[in-house]
Amino acid sequence: MRLQLTMPPPDQTQRDTASNGPQRGAVLAAALALPGVVAAETAPTDGLIAFKYLWYHDLQPGLSRITVNSPSVYTLLPVGPSWSVEGTVIVDAISGATPRYHTAISGASRMHDDRTAGELKLTRYFRRAAIDFGVAYSGEHDYKSAAGSVGLRLSSEDNNTTLAFGTGFTSDQISSSDGKVSGETRQVNDFLAGVTQVLSASDVAKINVTHARGRGYFSDPYKEVDVRPRQRNQTAVLTQWNHAFAGDATLRTSYRYYWDTFGVNAHTLGFEYAQGLGSGWTLTPALRYYTQSAADFYFGPDYDPVLGAPFPRGYSTNPPRYSSPDQRLSAFGAVTVGLRIDKRFGAWNVDFRYDYYQQRGDWRLGGDGSTGLDPFTAHFVQLGIAKRF
Amino acid sequence: MKQRVYRILSAACLPALLLGACAEVKPWQKGDLARPEMAFDGDALAARLAQHIYFSKENASGGYGVGGGGCGCN
Repeated sequence: MRLQLTMPPPDQTQRDTASNGPQRGAVLAAALALPGVVAAETAPTDGLIAFKYLWYHDLQPGLSRITVNSPSVYTLLPVGPSWSVEGTVIVDAISGATPRYHTAISGASRMHDDRTAGELKLTRYFRRAAIDFGVAYSGEHDYKSAAGSVGLRLSSEDNNTTLAFGTGFTSDQISSSDGKVSGETRQVNDFLAGVTQVLSASDVAKINVTHARGRGYFSDPYKEVDVRPRQRNQTAVLTQWNHAFAGDATLRTSYRYYWDTFGVNAHTLGFEYAQGLGSGWTLTPALRYYTQSAADFYFGPDYDPVLGAPFPRGYSTNPPRYSSPDQRLSAFGAVTVGLRIDKRFGAWNVDFRYDYYQQRGDWRLGGDGSTGLDPFTAHFVQLGIAKRF
Repeated sequence: MKQRVYRILSAACLPALLLGACAEVKPWQKGDLARPEMAFDGDALAARLAQHIYFSKENASGGYGVGGGGCGCN
């Protein structure tokens, strides 16, 4: 512990008699050791290993779509007093069917793929700063992605303000299993600037701005008439605010505004309320709302009278330069309702989480949603176990 | 273009507003802030999985970090 403990003035000590003695010492130690919130640039003293199993399934009326079974492991290892290493490995087994245009069931493409993804991050801690270096890889038989990143965090003398800066580079290789697309690539440069600020003894807030500049292949090789621009710039402003209530309760609120050069703008609002119940139990209900406008080149299920589906009206006489019938580029709103249950046993933590997710065109806020698409529903279940050491 | 400049400016001003609004918090007042539930990156694996799911089903992404691996998620 490199931080100097500042002793409180006498009036503070007398006012808060409950936190005197060893108990206050423990709280102080915990407060000062906490990375990311209070003392950003102290190397972690504890290691952590966590395992999770994710089961994901999505569907629309009349079509069971994608199922993903995904075990993953994460570890954080302190290395000496001023370094730490974090590693993540995720394996996805993906199978099912996905529409080739809009939410059309007939002719849906059937698929099975395995994805392996790994990440490694090395962090060096200084007195008021931390620098991290990260590499990431994700591989499927038709998609390979490699990324590198570097980040810098600076914290103020009183540890109440932390500034973060980062930049990353991602290089992807894209093909399709039916051989229609091969040798395509995409490169993305991204940048981050952020500030974390302690607002009061029970409030902490964080604002991040990220900007990504992508060049290359952005189309979906498994969708019909899907031709997207070969460049996309994306910007996101994420605000997070955590508030501690008396009685071991915490409210985590987040809001993100996003826009990109495909013409999409999106709002994401999230709430998580963690309530400690004693004996190591914590219950966390969660609610998330997301809404996006359609991409400029998205077309709805209104087909060309000559060519028929999946070609957009007018395609036979004047085909557009860019077009996509992908539901994910339509205008819609989406709601997630989730519940997480945690049980702590000493250094061990076991967690269970279930989320119900639905997308609908008419749930779009601040504009007209795309019409003529079926609602999209997903269930996700996560089971986790973690140990500190 | 004007709209873009306005957007970037408003994003940049938010932190300044926050900084101005906060009172100084002393180390011995940080007991609540140190609770694990108050961390922004509390369960790194859960956050990663959730972001991956939303990345594959919605158009918007970003805000949390840089240099994440892409995928051909359908």
